[in-house]
Amino acid sequence: MDVLGGLFVDHTLRTVALGSATLGIVSGALGAFAVLRRQALLGDAMSHAALPGVALAFLLTGSRAPLVLMLGAAIAGWLAAAAIVGVVRTSRVKVDSAMALTLSVFFGAGLVVLTFIQRQPAAGKAGLDKFLFGQAAAMLESDVITMVAVGAVGLFGLLALWKEFKLLSFDPDFAATLGIPTRRVDILLTSLLVIAIVVGLKTVGVVLMSAMVVAPGAAARQWTNRLGVMVTLSACFGAAAGVLGALLSTTAETSTGPTIVLVATGLVVVSLLFAPARGLVWARIRAWRSRRMLALEAVIADLASLAAQHGSNATHPHDIGALNAVRGRAVVERALTELAADGLARQHDTGGWSLTPRGLAEADRLARSRRAPGVAR
Amino acid sequence: MRIGLRTGGALAIQATDLTLAYQQQPVLWDVDLEVPQGVLMAIVGPNGAGKTTLLRAVLGLLQPAAGEVLVFGQPYADQRRRVAYVPQRGSVDWDFPTTALDIVTMGTYGGLGWVRRPGTSERTRAAAALAQVGMESYADRQISQLSGGQQQRIFLARALVQDADVYLMDEPFQGVDATTERAIVELLRALRADGKTVVAVHHDLQTVTEYFDEVTLLNVRRIAGGPVDRVFTEENLRRTYGGRVAGIGGRAVGNDLEPSS
Repeated sequence: MDVLGGLFVDHTLRTVALGSATLGIVSGALGAFAVLRRQALLGDAMSHAALPGVALAFLLTGSRAPLVLMLGAAIAGWLAAAAIVGVVRTSRVKVDSAMALTLSVFFGAGLVVLTFIQRQPAAGKAGLDKFLFGQAAAMLESDVITMVAVGAVGLFGLLALWKEFKLLSFDPDFAATLGIPTRRVDILLTSLLVIAIVVGLKTVGVVLMSAMVVAPGAAARQWTNRLGVMVTLSACFGAAAGVLGALLSTTAETSTGPTIVLVATGLVVVSLLFAPARGLVWARIRAWRSRRMLALEAVIADLASLAAQHGSNATHPHDIGALNAVRGRAVVERALTELAADGLARQHDTGGWSLTPRGLAEADRLARSRRAPGVAR
Repeated sequence: MRIGLRTGGALAIQATDLTLAYQQQPVLWDVDLEVPQGVLMAIVGPNGAGKTTLLRAVLGLLQPAAGEVLVFGQPYADQRRRVAYVPQRGSVDWDFPTTALDIVTMGTYGGLGWVRRPGTSERTRAAAALAQVGMESYADRQISQLSGGQQQRIFLARALVQDADVYLMDEPFQGVDATTERAIVELLRALRADGKTVVAVHHDLQTVTEYFDEVTLLNVRRIAGGPVDRVFTEENLRRTYGGRVAGIGGRAVGNDLEPSS
């Protein structure tokens, strides 16, 4: 492939790949906790709310240095989170309304400031509007270096307080009784989420950044029942979506954010359908199998009771019209075909059916195992 | 080892004048709670009586508008390590990606301090606690695959690992099968034999006299409290639940009774 070949020679592509891998790892790992804590919407509110921070940071400093813009974004995102918590604590406004309100107020303010900047004649304003939907192709080496440095701080924080974050996410009350200052740990974890968001902001854009926080974690959860594995897998999914999406958008000249999000969504869909323990496809197959097994057992039991009524000759053929009426013709026929294939039942020349001696033994075994333990006959 | 440090005859828990309100609606009103050392105490009362709130206020999870909580004669904040909490089973998300053993290991986190991760000794202690509740063969089981009774036992094991002196339990018998209920009762008695103190929110009036030594009857206010044989009377129950409580001899069930308005 051209793109992969280009990765080793093309400097721009290499920069883009490295940067989007970094943002994917950071948002994937920290986003996994947001998913577990049901904070997906908080991530969305914070990423939208980062826009005025970016715009104001540029307006105040006149600089487009990645660290300056990220700092502005982080402050605005953090303030938005504080505003949401504040509104919920002090009023009767529910958390979803508080988030929607904060998101639109901050995002609207960001658009106003952005429009104002666009109308200024000043040089160097170009590119700020890319923060809306993201543009990987515009990624510079200085961007990547900042992303790696800031992202490393986020990941280091996550690893250092792993046990506290885990406890807070599972059972905050219990954490509090152990003497862990849950409020401060909560603020810290939310701040790390802010870091994860600002790292990817320029590449993915404020509008869709929350998908990079949520999608890898949601996909990873389907594959494992261990927190450590989930976070690692989520980071890998994030990196894969980031690199694949960024390279696709660079070569196809589409907006980067939407492309990355589509790839991430693809991972979620595949995971929801095909993950071994939780996948919908396997669940369907399991349900179908167990239904078939139950039908099989029911037909065996029916034939056995018919045989019992017949007294001495247990393998005497029976008309199955009555069975068809009770269980449905299709079910009975499929079950009989399978039983015959297994040598448990056979059809006589008269068209009637009976269990074979092996089938009778099986019916007996099933009758015993289905009976509640300890219940005497 | 800690027993030597105990303050002579201090009560395990002494809460005085606890008052707590949610938006002007009092949930606890001037409640005193006195728990002697080494007893099993039930907190009994109708729905909305503030039983869970009382436990949470004692644990400092809720800030009371007034009142004070002493544990072995000292403020709770200084005695935290001597108190273990078993929350209601329904208070957490059992789909969290982790194992039974890992949940029990969380009971050791209080002694680890910041940053440090649980190691072999912590996991060994957790495994021992799992065995104490008869769940050793479920150590690696994902917690959502456990039955309600098994999840309750996991929570109990997590509290056992804390090696506390006082255990506060919120409805430990809620929704568990008969086997688990017997196992939990055995466990409570073993704790008492070790000189530990247990306070449990309890819903089943039929079993109060059988399982517990002391009882506190609560309905926003403390109606009565003390040894079961003295306090758990038809008269006191009527004052707690309002209306008629038929046949305390063994047929009354708290769930069916509503508080008088």
